[in-house]
Amino acid sequence: MIASILLLIIASLLSLFFVYMAVTEKDLLKAVAYSAGQSITYSILLQAMSTPDIVMTYVAVSVGLYSALLVFVISKTERFER
Amino acid sequence: MLLFTATLIASFTATIILNPATPSELKELAKYYVLNTINETASPEAVTAIVWDYRGLDTIYETLVLYLAIVGGLAIFKMSEEALLKTRIGLTLLTKTSTKIIALLITSIAAAIAFHGHLSPGGGFPGGSAVAVASMIIIPVFAAGTLIEKGISSTKLVAIRGAALTALGLVALLPVVRGFEIVTNQKFYPASILGLPISGSLSLYNLLESLAVASGFTAVALYLSIPEEAYKGGSSA
Repeated sequence: MIASILLLIIASLLSLFFVYMAVTEKDLLKAVAYSAGQSITYSILLQAMSTPDIVMTYVAVSVGLYSALLVFVISKTERFER
Repeated sequence: MLLFTATLIASFTATIILNPATPSELKELAKYYVLNTINETASPEAVTAIVWDYRGLDTIYETLVLYLAIVGGLAIFKMSEEALLKTRIGLTLLTKTSTKIIALLITSIAAAIAFHGHLSPGGGFPGGSAVAVASMIIIPVFAAGTLIEKGISSTKLVAIRGAALTALGLVALLPVVRGFEIVTNQKFYPASILGLPISGSLSLYNLLESLAVASGFTAVALYLSIPEEAYKGGSSA
């Protein structure tokens, strides 16, 4: 029980770090990578709350599809934010 | 900043004291599903049973919404496969080989998620989107033009999607012929075929939904990989 609470706390702190980095990053590709990291920590949170069904959908959509879509979209505009 | 820190500390204390990870008792509704799912739907997986059986009509409409969203997205793009055929080079041999291995691994895990979804966590949508992830890393690495030369065109993908969704609708509608309600599972479909537990219509729904989701997202990725120069006046790509 203590381990799962520790996991929850560490994963949520890490996700806050990733969100901050994704918002302040000027290089959009790196921002997408930070966003994927945030999604990974969220899936750790969901797994710690024992919801494996949601974890599968969440990982596939938010780490895979969403990041890939954003990379495709960035390739159509500029990489660096001004 | 102070407010932010206060919120953080408060949420962590709440996490430690209330401990949401382990609920102490089940609610009445949860008890009903835990006790009756295996008898009523022939599936040990309560989530899939709720999604495709107890609340089956909701999920059918949700699938329809996603279908319309993808059709709308495809309608915005111009249908120009000549522009795609110009991009034929792709990345280096090393990247191509490693991508082949990774895509094979992702696809096999996706198949396990989708086709085993009525027995273990998973289902049609997660499996289909995992296949879509594999195709989304294949498309930039091998270049969309190569795929179109091999015969994987977006028209075919949309056709696969339409066929899968039509079959899904038929699976939902077939019990009406025998006088049951729409999206009936156990009264109409068998629980197992040749000793293989298929949980009635649940495995059919998972299979068709994963096909539809995978082909739909792959078609969108193919259109997104059209280079931007192809839209600006055309000829110089």
